[in-house]
Amino acid sequence: MSSRLIDTARRSRGKFARLAAVPFIALIAAGCADDKPLNTFEPRGPMARDIDDLMFYIWPIMGIVFVLVIGGAIILAIKNRVKPEDFDPEDLPAQTHGNTTLELAWTIAPAVLLAAICFPMVAMIWNLEEKNEEGELDVMVIGQQWWWEYRYDVDGDGFFVDANGDGVVDEKDEELGLDISLDPDDIVTANELVIPAGEQVDLTLTSRDVIHSFWIPRLNGKRDTVPGRWHTWSVEADEPGKYTGWCTEYCGLSHARMRMSAIALNEADWETWWANQSAPAAIPTDEDALAGRELFQNNCQRCHVINDEDLVYADDFTEQIALVSKAAPNLTHFASRSTFAGGIYSIYAGGPDGSTDANDDALNPLDYVRLPELAADPTTTEDYRFNSAELKRWIANAPSRKAMAADPVEETGLGRGMPAFTDLSDEQLDQLVAYLATLE
Amino acid sequence: MAIIEQPLALPSGAPDVAKRPLGAFARPREEGGFKSWLTTVDHKKIGIMYGAAAMFFLIIGGVAALLIRIQLATPNSTFLSADAYNRIFTMHGTVMVFLVVMPIGASFANFLMPLQVGARDVAFPRINAFSFWVFFLGGLMLNTSWFIGGGANGGWFNYAPNNGIPYSPSTGIDFWNIGLLVVGIGSLTGAINLITTVLNMRAPGMTLMKMPVFVWMTLVTQFLLLFAIPVLTVAQVLLAADRLFGANFFNVEMGADPLLWQHLFWVFGHPEVYLMILPAFGIISEVIPTFARKPIFGYPFMVFSGIAIGFMGWGVWAHHMFVSGIGPLSVTAFSVATMFIAVPTGVKILNWMATLWGGKLILNTAMLFSIGLVTQFTIGGLSGVSHAIAPSDTQQTDTYYIVAHFHYVLFGGALFGFMAGFYFWWPKAFGYKLGEKLGLWNFWLMVIGFNLTFGPMHILGLQGMPRRMQTYDEAMGFGFWNMVASWGSFILAVGVLLFLVNIVKAHLAWRAAGRPDVGPDPWDGRTIEWSIQSPAPGHNFDVDPVVSSLDDFWHRKYQPDESGKLRRVNTGDDLAQAGDPTGVHLPAPSYWPIVLAASLPIIGYGLIFNLWLGLPGVVLMMISLWGWALEPADDLDPNDDHDDHATPDAELETVS
Repeated sequence: MSSRLIDTARRSRGKFARLAAVPFIALIAAGCADDKPLNTFEPRGPMARDIDDLMFYIWPIMGIVFVLVIGGAIILAIKNRVKPEDFDPEDLPAQTHGNTTLELAWTIAPAVLLAAICFPMVAMIWNLEEKNEEGELDVMVIGQQWWWEYRYDVDGDGFFVDANGDGVVDEKDEELGLDISLDPDDIVTANELVIPAGEQVDLTLTSRDVIHSFWIPRLNGKRDTVPGRWHTWSVEADEPGKYTGWCTEYCGLSHARMRMSAIALNEADWETWWANQSAPAAIPTDEDALAGRELFQNNCQRCHVINDEDLVYADDFTEQIALVSKAAPNLTHFASRSTFAGGIYSIYAGGPDGSTDANDDALNPLDYVRLPELAADPTTTEDYRFNSAELKRWIANAPSRKAMAADPVEETGLGRGMPAFTDLSDEQLDQLVAYLATLE
Repeated sequence: MAIIEQPLALPSGAPDVAKRPLGAFARPREEGGFKSWLTTVDHKKIGIMYGAAAMFFLIIGGVAALLIRIQLATPNSTFLSADAYNRIFTMHGTVMVFLVVMPIGASFANFLMPLQVGARDVAFPRINAFSFWVFFLGGLMLNTSWFIGGGANGGWFNYAPNNGIPYSPSTGIDFWNIGLLVVGIGSLTGAINLITTVLNMRAPGMTLMKMPVFVWMTLVTQFLLLFAIPVLTVAQVLLAADRLFGANFFNVEMGADPLLWQHLFWVFGHPEVYLMILPAFGIISEVIPTFARKPIFGYPFMVFSGIAIGFMGWGVWAHHMFVSGIGPLSVTAFSVATMFIAVPTGVKILNWMATLWGGKLILNTAMLFSIGLVTQFTIGGLSGVSHAIAPSDTQQTDTYYIVAHFHYVLFGGALFGFMAGFYFWWPKAFGYKLGEKLGLWNFWLMVIGFNLTFGPMHILGLQGMPRRMQTYDEAMGFGFWNMVASWGSFILAVGVLLFLVNIVKAHLAWRAAGRPDVGPDPWDGRTIEWSIQSPAPGHNFDVDPVVSSLDDFWHRKYQPDESGKLRRVNTGDDLAQAGDPTGVHLPAPSYWPIVLAASLPIIGYGLIFNLWLGLPGVVLMMISLWGWALEPADDLDPNDDHDDHATPDAELETVS
């Protein structure tokens, strides 16, 4: 090869290497933008950080292989091409049939390279798995179509199921087919997993219907929630904040609208939250809200639970709950949450037009725990209005706001999701919303 | 022996005028026209029909893909409802895997493999026709669900328990289940047929290590099919029992573990991936040496790496289940196994590059698509390694990063390889070349469109966009790259459309020019399919070719002179067989494969809607099995002098 040719090849090699590197660099750069709440490149907790570190150990290796192979193939194609007009059937290139040494080399070299990746990987698989048992706080995460339930082990007995059973089980619950095996003393919430910042929280994952997957990308990878199985997992957030998640196993009709988040609180906020959640539901004094409470008792209680001793089942509730999962969100402290309907609508809307974007991170994450207070404060009502309008639309006709299959299936007599309540008048809807707003 | 003692049933010597038993019909004799395609047992016609049927299904799957991309182009889009979206993405995946990529592989295997091993047909020609019709009619049945069941909505992987009646009450999943069961029967019979052909019907002299790489990859692929399809069939029979007859194989309340379905599905599903890509690997292993004008680098490594992929493909299925909760020991084992499957795959990539090295490349469309496979598949392979790292997979699985990965493998890999194969073997199948100019447009639009569509999905996945999402919020920041991907998908669609335009245009131009002969060897080919006329005559080879080396045909054209320099001593046209069918005996066409195949979807509809509806299907099946068994071995040419199916009395005479 003449020196001119070598120079050309060198120049083109450099150029192609740069060209080939562009998508790789763009990939990483794009991952660093901060308006992506689910970004997998922004770990905010030790587990996610471990995974992130491992990825960045491996990616440069992959980047080099990428540039060498793609660049190599393109250079070879360009360098060795023969134009049709220059084609001479007798002008054959050297007829190399192979080179065993070379081929053995590029069989063994990748194997060694992969082994180098394997060691830290295998170590991490076990480390992460063993870590799952080390946390102080245990939370049970239950997936169902299409929302998440969280149960906190309040009495610290290490059980989410009721150990002794007798005395605490409402016969009516049993009659209605409600899930009586779970510990009634637990704090039960929905959609948002509230955790103390800087502390590892162990999760026990299961499902009441189909397979879902629990994923808060900034805190940890995902793990499936499988009915009939109890998987261990854990999360930890370094700092207080809101960390968005999304169900990542296809779970049927409204899979795209099964969202969640983890809200990490500092110690003081966490204690406040815990104390508030441990208390039974407040009994409203307002006339509208009291009327709403009665409506709740006669309509919603067939599926939803509110921890309120006086809120007994209406007499005509004799049928089984008509849901495959036999569960609907516990609404005891509904107004202390930031979202409803599987994390897709905000309970407190920012702005007078009632924005309903549940993934709006404009609120200070710390405010989520104080939302009810802030909403009650006249100086802040404009920013933190109770989202009555959306809630009212939801109660009146939930299937029109989120795809659901509330109509019972012929074979089982059971449906999935919340049905429409077309019988309720506009006034009754207002009363229900007024009641729900008091459940701080 | 007792039989000799008995009087002979028929007078010997006289023409056989014995009455045929009930149901033994004469075989059809059409050699041209529409009917000949329905009754043909010619592997080339069947191969072409596989390709044509796959193109038909490609349009269905492609339209579904474009609908998905329109829906996802903008946040909170209401173009498709959640229900419609779920059905469309399920059917897109199912159609593309089972009715497009697999059949195109079958198309090449059927058309090409017998030609490359020097056979006149496959081992069981009627079963070959049956395999095709079962696939095609089963595929049609699956697609009728668009109209009468609303399309399946459980995802192509159709996980339990979401595939059960309580969660998916519509018949869409029954169509998915029964339709694929039927299609699977075709794959299974096809696999047995093609394996037998490769092992038993090679030309004299063609030892296993003188087989073209494509034949090797076909053999590995068919073995994968043979063992993988039954596993899916087991899962589907269990599901059918659950859904149609109230069994409880996947009913959690009755103690079932939903992970059973996942294991069964992926034990099938991962070899499935390799049986989709290996035919494409075989194709470009033929195209690259031809247009680099040098032999494939490291033939034994290419063969054994293919076999290694085939074996290792069975030990990696649970990498689809790293987040399913299978425990750290399983995760470790499958993680490490998955990583090391990159070794044989890497060997292939590097050997193709070594074949390019020092070659004199003719960069026509077939060659460009082959190099396209090498580069695009490498990207898919690298993202594959990042999934093999189980901890990092917990962040990536079920996101668009996976969607990007498998499209780089199956579109940038398998489909690009198939495109190379179409351009390369088109003259052998149809007697004319596809247009090169349009071919280049076809290639570049597809490469650009493909990378614009699926490249951004890597980014979207790492930004946390989950798969199988009907919509997303603006605040999630997925808008920009989704819009790019949607534009890319339309460029890609135009690229694919240009291929179809190219076929029509090239055909019309060829007809207008009076059907000029493209010649037996238009590319200066290396393997023996180029030693016969184009298009390949019905009987393939006038006389059995005798093979003495790998790339035998090429070595008959090029031989070293006294100084050791390779010289062209013959042209392909000189060496080619004349295409004279005199004295060749071929299996006659048959009605029964298509009739028998048609009975299966009827039984399928019966299972789904009403068992009585299946009764005519069962009756038809019994009749066609009877007819098939008794069908006389008529020759197309009754006067030929072959005695390879002697009358029973002749046999008896021999015995006595």
